[in-house]
Amino acid sequence: MKQAKAILHGNGDLRQTLVVVFLRGAADGLALMPAVGDDDYYRARPFTAVGKTAALKLDDRFGLNPLMNALEPAVKEGALTAVHCVGSGDTTRSHFEAQDLMEHGGHTGGGWLGRFLRFREQAVAGALSAVAIGQAVPESLRGAPAATAMQSLDDFSFSGGDKFVQSLEQLYAGQTGVFGVRSRDTFNALGRIRELHAKDYSPANGADYGGDRFARELRLAAQLIKARVGVEAITVDLGGWDSHLTQGPLISPLMRRLANGLAAFRRDLGASMRQTTVVVMTEFGRRVSENSALGTDHGRGGAMFVLGGDGAEGRVIADWPGLKRDALVGPGDLPVTTDYRDVLIPVLRRHAPGADMARVFPGHKAKPLGQAAESA
Amino acid sequence: MMELNRRRFLQAGGAAAVFGAAGCDAPHKALWPYAGLPVEAKPPFAPPSGDSIDLTTHVLNRLTFGARPGEHERILRLAKREGDAVALFIEEQLAPEKINDDRAEFRVRIFETLNSRPIGEFYEFQPSLLREELTRATLTRAVYSERQLLEVMVRFWSDHFNIDISKGECKWLKPADDRDVIRLHAMGTFPKLLAASAKSQAMLTYLDGRENRVRKPEDRPNENYARELLELHTLGVHGGYTQQDVMEVARCLSGWRIGRGLFQSGNVQFEPGLHDGRAKTVLGQEIPARDGLDGRKDFDDILRIVAAHPSTARHIATKLCQRFIADEPPAAAIDTVAGAFTQTNGDIRETLRALFFTDEFRGTRGNKFKQPLHFLASALRATDAETDVGKPLVNYLLRMGHMPFEYPAPDGYPAHAEPWMSTLLWRWNFAAKLGQGQINGTRIQHKRLVARAGDLAKLAAHLLGRQPGDDELAAAEASKNPIGLLLASPSFQWS
Repeated sequence: MKQAKAILHGNGDLRQTLVVVFLRGAADGLALMPAVGDDDYYRARPFTAVGKTAALKLDDRFGLNPLMNALEPAVKEGALTAVHCVGSGDTTRSHFEAQDLMEHGGHTGGGWLGRFLRFREQAVAGALSAVAIGQAVPESLRGAPAATAMQSLDDFSFSGGDKFVQSLEQLYAGQTGVFGVRSRDTFNALGRIRELHAKDYSPANGADYGGDRFARELRLAAQLIKARVGVEAITVDLGGWDSHLTQGPLISPLMRRLANGLAAFRRDLGASMRQTTVVVMTEFGRRVSENSALGTDHGRGGAMFVLGGDGAEGRVIADWPGLKRDALVGPGDLPVTTDYRDVLIPVLRRHAPGADMARVFPGHKAKPLGQAAESA
Repeated sequence: MMELNRRRFLQAGGAAAVFGAAGCDAPHKALWPYAGLPVEAKPPFAPPSGDSIDLTTHVLNRLTFGARPGEHERILRLAKREGDAVALFIEEQLAPEKINDDRAEFRVRIFETLNSRPIGEFYEFQPSLLREELTRATLTRAVYSERQLLEVMVRFWSDHFNIDISKGECKWLKPADDRDVIRLHAMGTFPKLLAASAKSQAMLTYLDGRENRVRKPEDRPNENYARELLELHTLGVHGGYTQQDVMEVARCLSGWRIGRGLFQSGNVQFEPGLHDGRAKTVLGQEIPARDGLDGRKDFDDILRIVAAHPSTARHIATKLCQRFIADEPPAAAIDTVAGAFTQTNGDIRETLRALFFTDEFRGTRGNKFKQPLHFLASALRATDAETDVGKPLVNYLLRMGHMPFEYPAPDGYPAHAEPWMSTLLWRWNFAAKLGQGQINGTRIQHKRLVARAGDLAKLAAHLLGRQPGDDELAAAEASKNPIGLLLASPSFQWS
């Protein structure tokens, strides 16, 4: 009923928003979420390991990299779920193949997020239901009922002036039925977009985004969510994680940017975080042992994060095999013990309880989180 | 008035306009990506004069992606009586092979990937380039092709035999399916179209037909294609088949795969060792046990049985009536169309001809909500826009959720209006920008368009397919962007 009301008014007031952050290039799960409780971690990473006390504690086994300390409040307030040994069935260790498979949601056409928006219950998507922040719409949004790539608010502007909109309103005033309802929804959305352009945006609660691109993009995401134009899914990319050489200097600034951006976003949204979920994912993790160039090579199981309202998250999910050689797969990689789709399913269910997950992830046999998945 | 305009036009160098640049309105040479394509003459034209949609406009609305300036007038001149003229136009569109389409083909020629042969050559291209060129060619033809009914039917069959280009190797294979299956047979016969689709590399990939192997008697066939063949492509979901039929069809179609060797890369081959050669029963008909290469005859049997099934005629007729008459098509029209389909063994032209002469088709006007691609193409056609069909234009299809070849399920884009009604914001935005010349790579010639029609009211009549109401004309004038406003108006969203 609530959902139906939101549709009638077309203002997105009651809509939930899912923000998907994709770490392109395969982020090292053991750097983001070091296994500080496992002595073998220190044997595998003699030069690049995070010290036991330096890490931000998640549980007895895992911490967050101290470069991500900005997320400490989120951890303390039960707003962050961290998942380890997570990934897809892809064994090619190819960035392109693995990203494609993950964004399609399996060996199928179209993107999982696009299918979710198209096939969820009461699938009435507004014109602005899906926004890809960046130059192009990612594979995950393929097949969405509406998808817009935007780099700034200008990409969202309505080019008709006041006179144009007034004239249009006169012509649409007499329209009846579904067409009339949708046209009034659209005028509402249009009004909000025009408001969005009319005033400067200042983040709430003293949130400080910083000036990097990722932060600017999350700031734009927050602005869209708060303007309530009906955005239900936003995708943001943070690239550059392919750390074959000198991993430290390469990904340290990225980890800092990731955490700072997410922390500012969460602060800025404030109470709106209750209707918002952020998922952070990457195509695969990296080799357990560091290489001779103090980097890491392509691996399998990696890390994933879910950021939500206070108290809604706050779990560590890791079916952890340990780091002994016989527990690893291939050339020495963490296995995938949790399928990334099993992390997404409960999130999507919260956003649309009636969504048919068999259509969103065709061919996937869902497993409740926390139960061991077969290693692929 | 008409005469005067025409004479003035000729004096002003109409002959030159036919063969080359004409005055200041002609596109600048440097911006003209189609070097060698003669600039078209753009003479004055007479718009429809009725207070409601006349038969000519109606037929243009349904058989094409919208009327271009002068088209209404041209049809009326085909015969003395409107009914005869429209009948001639329908015949013209039913025979696309007789229509010269050099101008559109000239524009499509720049998309070089689409001409690859044999199919293995497609693998040499980046998937993103293939997708881009196929999409741009599709929209280019919708806007510029003279074979409009063919293009309408290509879209219809592309949804009926939907293939999502982003699934696996479909990235490379769909362009050939579009060219050698859908386009080739769109106005041919349904049995041939169906058989071509069943052996299309892209379809074998999209619905896993190539994975359908039975090596040992206990192997279960992959029934994905068999199910969609019955449910979507032929009989329809309530067409009277059972789960048992699905399994039996899957067994019959086991063993077809795509060759991998040096000289047969991409060829569709039958492998007896992967085929279930035992006897089957499909929809009450016996398929005998067959040994070795003989097993390939199962394919012909199955396709013949499902194409000729009475439920298939009804299913296709219903979908055609939905496309051309109404979202809830009238039963009498479905009967007529299904009858024509059956009598002609699925001849698509004959089936369409029967549809276009039903009273239901003739009498139900202005009630079909344009899908986004139809809306875009009709706006560009109505305004005689010059476009390179680049990203700024194609992005509108993405925003409205109607990119060709990207529907993420086998049933194709929805045919009814409701799911598309949330796309108004982008329609209005597109219309406003087109009217203001703010879409990069796409432009219209306002003043010339108004002058060609005579005045704004006449141009409005052309855009709306009837005389504009006072409110529409007043709103257009007040908007400061009259063409944009009329394209964004309620009436222009319907055909």
